[in-house]
Amino acid sequence: MQVREVANSLTFRYIVKYVTALSATVFVLAVSFYIYFSYSSFIDLGESVIEELETLQLVYRGGELAGVEQYIEAQTSSPSVNRFYYLVTDGTGDKVAGDLPSASRYRQFDDGWLGFEMALQNWGESVEVEFLAHPMELGEGYSAIVARGYADIVERAKLVFRTLVTVMVATLVLGITGGFFSASRALDRVQILNRDISRIIRGAPSQRLHVDEEQGYVRALAEVMNQMLEQMESLMQGVRRVSDNIAHDLRTPLTRMRNNLSQLRSRLSDRDGVSQLDGIIDECDDLLTSFNALLRISALESGSRLAGGSDVELRALLSDVVELYEPLALDRDICLELDAPQAQFCRGEADLLFQMFANVLDNALKYTPSGGSIQVRLRPGNGLGSVNGHSIVISDSGPGIPVSERKNVFRRFYRVESSRTELPGHGLGLSLVQAIAQYHYGRVELGSNNPGLQVRVRLP
Amino acid sequence: MSSVLGALSSMNILLVEDDKQVAEFVVAELSAAGHSCVHACDGSAGREAAINHAYDVMVIDRMMPKMNGLELISALRKAGDNTPVLVLSALGDVDDRVQGLHSGADDYLVKPFAMAELLARLDVLKRRSAKLESEAQTRLVVHDLSMDLLRQFVQRGETTINLQPREYKLLEYLMRHAGQVVTRAMLLEHVWGYHFDPQTNVIDVHISRLRQKIDKGFERPLLLTVRGTGYRLGPELDH
Repeated sequence: MQVREVANSLTFRYIVKYVTALSATVFVLAVSFYIYFSYSSFIDLGESVIEELETLQLVYRGGELAGVEQYIEAQTSSPSVNRFYYLVTDGTGDKVAGDLPSASRYRQFDDGWLGFEMALQNWGESVEVEFLAHPMELGEGYSAIVARGYADIVERAKLVFRTLVTVMVATLVLGITGGFFSASRALDRVQILNRDISRIIRGAPSQRLHVDEEQGYVRALAEVMNQMLEQMESLMQGVRRVSDNIAHDLRTPLTRMRNNLSQLRSRLSDRDGVSQLDGIIDECDDLLTSFNALLRISALESGSRLAGGSDVELRALLSDVVELYEPLALDRDICLELDAPQAQFCRGEADLLFQMFANVLDNALKYTPSGGSIQVRLRPGNGLGSVNGHSIVISDSGPGIPVSERKNVFRRFYRVESSRTELPGHGLGLSLVQAIAQYHYGRVELGSNNPGLQVRVRLP
Repeated sequence: MSSVLGALSSMNILLVEDDKQVAEFVVAELSAAGHSCVHACDGSAGREAAINHAYDVMVIDRMMPKMNGLELISALRKAGDNTPVLVLSALGDVDDRVQGLHSGADDYLVKPFAMAELLARLDVLKRRSAKLESEAQTRLVVHDLSMDLLRQFVQRGETTINLQPREYKLLEYLMRHAGQVVTRAMLLEHVWGYHFDPQTNVIDVHISRLRQKIDKGFERPLLLTVRGTGYRLGPELDH
């Protein structure tokens, strides 16, 4: 299973989009909530500063400056940095109490609020802390500033923000990983269907789609398609059976007719009549050959494939075929040569393999113009990189078959338009070749010999 | 009486066939060709007939009720009956052929068949069995054509004839069956050793090349074409 295939799959892309949108939404919502809470804790901070100022004022009213000094002394003795800081000045602006430096540069905010930064010792470390402060008149020229650092609020905000980002990234990663696996699972199931369907297309009509153990839409789809295939196959078989029956049932009376004709011929004395009868008998034989070929193709295609067979030596077989056709080639001034450097053994039925190569060679001889050449080449390996199997290539210097026709010529009774009128034949030769090759778990491919036709038979 | 095959010696034939129509037709044709023919309509009747009477050849259908053709042949062979048998069958697969020949049949013909093919094959079968009884031959002679099987040497009259290995085999087969009609299918089976249907007249080309070598320049042609059936080696018979 390729990562790219999964990544490109519809399910995966859908899940990624969904997870991204979902986590972004959750993130935005959480951030908004947090901003709201941070804001309110900021407000609380301000309120506590004001309250502290009011306390300070009460202290001042009760105990004059000395009371204030005492109070501030008590408050600032706390080791925590999250406490109030104080500055009390007299009418001239000189510091009289508190622990804030007198000459801080304050930033003026609205409503009398002040802001400044100050370095604090926290765990032995000097930390620049932002403060929020508010001044207030205590009376008699004295004024006070109470400040409080808000680093804790900022820290907390940062922490929460980091947590949120981490959670979002984790959600995305987990969501996409999960999405990848569920997409690859879905893809797996679709690819199983794909593979089964390709097999049917390549010529295994009895193949059925794999039905998942798990309930679900893929299983339902596979079941429905299997029903459809079942129907299609029985229809196809019906059509084939009808044509086979026709061929079969016509063969018997045709043979009888042929026998009667040859009886008649032997009794006939007039020469013209005899030669006319000979023509009719030849046509009968032609038809019978065609019927036989048709029935053989059907028998090969509908039955099970080769089981058993014997070890056939292909070089010897091919040289027998070539030898059989050599006189025909010589008569037509065609150079026919066999190129088979080594003996190769193949499991099969010798008669059928002979028939197959004879048909191919027959065609090659039929279409190659005189003076041309035909080559039969036998090589080990299936031609696709494997050393197992056999590759037999029969190339001629005839007109070849146009690319658009190459698939069609394997169909029964199909003939390339140009040869339909010019040359004898029934359009069954290559169908039989293919049926025999497939019966032996092999295949036939047509290619160009530039110019000419190249027929490649691959056998396992 | 004249048939397609001209002068065939008359044979005593047992036909075991359950299909009435086919049987009637075959009996009529065999009788018309000058043979005497007995028909048995199933396997056990065939067995009885074979035991009670000696025949030159038997034609046995493969698919029959009670006892099928192959069982019948096995039974006959076990009982020591070596009469040549030709099996008729509607099945044409290679496997079926091999099975048929394994059970002890001498030849195999797929239905429907041309009568001429059946007649030619029966004739060959009968003579083959007759020849088996005579001693092994070292020399074949047809008219003025002679073949020395030991030296692989062919001569017509005083002229030596050079033949390719396959031409030699072809001529040998024809000479062994001199005077008999041999069909193209028989030649393919016995000379080339393959059972298949050629799409073209490829055998005719081999024959005409052989004819060039043995008949050209001689007054009397020996290798004759029997229209619609096959070939015959031997001096032309007068009609």
